[in-house]
Amino acid sequence: MSARRPVGRVLVIGLDCATPQFIFGPQRFALPNFQRLMKAGCWGLLKSCDPPITVPAWACMMSGKDPGTLGIYGFRNRKDHSYDAMFTANATSVKEPQVWDILSRCGKKVAVIGVAHTYPVRPVNGWMVSGFLAPDTYADFTYPKELKQELREKVGEFVLDVRDFRTDDKDRLLRDVHEFMENRFRTAEYLLQNTPWDFFMVVEMGMDRLHHGFWKYADPAHPKFMPGNPYESAMREYYARVDDWIARLAAIVGDETAILIVSDHGAKPMLGGICINHWLIKEGYLALKEFPTTRRRIEDCAIDWSKTRVWSAGGYYGRIFVNVRGREPQGIVAPEDYECVRDELIRKLETMTGPDGCLLGNRVFKPQTLYRAAKGVPPDLLVYFGDLSWRAVGLVGVDSIYTFENDTGPDDANHDHNGIFIMDDRTGRGGIELRDLNLLDVAPTLLNLFGIDPLPDMQGKVIS
Amino acid sequence: MQKGITIHLAGVNAAETAHVLLNRLGELGRSAEHIDETAQKSLGNKETADLACEHSSQEGRVVIAGYPDACPSGESLHIILDPNDTPDFAAEKILDELAAAGVINLETGTYSPEEEEKVRQRLADLGYIE
Repeated sequence: MSARRPVGRVLVIGLDCATPQFIFGPQRFALPNFQRLMKAGCWGLLKSCDPPITVPAWACMMSGKDPGTLGIYGFRNRKDHSYDAMFTANATSVKEPQVWDILSRCGKKVAVIGVAHTYPVRPVNGWMVSGFLAPDTYADFTYPKELKQELREKVGEFVLDVRDFRTDDKDRLLRDVHEFMENRFRTAEYLLQNTPWDFFMVVEMGMDRLHHGFWKYADPAHPKFMPGNPYESAMREYYARVDDWIARLAAIVGDETAILIVSDHGAKPMLGGICINHWLIKEGYLALKEFPTTRRRIEDCAIDWSKTRVWSAGGYYGRIFVNVRGREPQGIVAPEDYECVRDELIRKLETMTGPDGCLLGNRVFKPQTLYRAAKGVPPDLLVYFGDLSWRAVGLVGVDSIYTFENDTGPDDANHDHNGIFIMDDRTGRGGIELRDLNLLDVAPTLLNLFGIDPLPDMQGKVIS
Repeated sequence: MQKGITIHLAGVNAAETAHVLLNRLGELGRSAEHIDETAQKSLGNKETADLACEHSSQEGRVVIAGYPDACPSGESLHIILDPNDTPDFAAEKILDELAAAGVINLETGTYSPEEEEKVRQRLADLGYIE
């Protein structure tokens, strides 16, 4: 497996939500440093996991294992089969070793910055700065603890995320997203120059925030796009600035270091939302004791569990739960009817039409068909409305299953299945485009670069 | 009573690692003690030190036996330290083994209720959840 000559060091630049159409496609931006790495090495679309959400995606990428195996189906997961016990998936939830754990145990020095699921930080053989799941910068978000103060003195206060993301004040948001990115890369630059490392990984999250906040201003395909708007070039300029940073970081690491640029998922225009619980009520699956007169979260409503067969949670994708007798506290669906209910829902959801009467193109999955194992408490069904062109809205008290406004504020993009993969492993490949790449391939590939065999239960392949 | 265990620690940086490990176990609320070569001599000989380790672990403590040829009976972990590991990292690897053996729990207390709500609200604001 590990026949290749190990490289000296590896730098991974993770760009959350970096999307292929702006980097590879015919509409790509002028990004000379991305292009230089592509021409020197190999590149291709990187198929994300299901669901293509930041958590679990980075954890899957860095463990080589699918969400079911990790038992993580999104940021918030059911703790058990009760109706309200939830937990936020973070580093503690990830039981499988990540690339930096394996390398640490092999004596390699690692430095990891800003990977989403790394709070609370666990010690590594090197340095760790957690991602945005740290509650704030008062928390111990670095390993070792003293690194926090060192970064504060040398780089400035670490920015965990943009503040007040859902806003109409786009000037301020754009400034904040840029500052978020600059701060992340300045932190990487400082650690690259001042710590010994064999494996270095930094994840830049601002690109995700940019897409959600500015997509409609930059993409003529978005229904709300207005030519000549003041933010038409916001994405192009942001990607160009990231491109500058790639050159700057690459110059620091030198020619003996393999460089990977990867993203956890892509992005696409969001056309609207499907009020999934409203639909379940209309279809007779979900019953409330009292129908609210204003829009309200389902968690804040009194559900009549004695008459509820199915309920759902919203987000970039829909999670559907069946109220099974003997499993949920007040379950009413007989276990022998469970598959019938799921199959019926799949049929109905797949034939759901949009406001124009055309099929939405929903995709619905049973977790058992997606994953090698479905650990923890998975949703009974996962739904991609319009194959992720529509988000899932869990609110009730609405008057239509379609919504074009987001109660939490403006958001113009949803996640897409394909992210990006670029690797210059310094073997002079000469710009090969690779196909059928999967996010699960990244961990085995990284270990292979160090001459370390992937773990036998990793689900991806070595990209070579 | 909590489950006790004896850890035989040997190799590079054993004393430094034991020091870090004691502190970390204290942070995790576990009673622990380190019987190093000096402590072993003050106890008499190796056999009495072995007995002390055994007795202490039976009372629910984590005992680090850092003296040569330690051989107490009872549940134990034998750790040869990796020379590539820093004492901090070596201690964390041992904590992982202790967790796997059911001696400690590393999974609790990641967020306070206030922190959990703060993170949940941030995720909702970002659109990941509602």
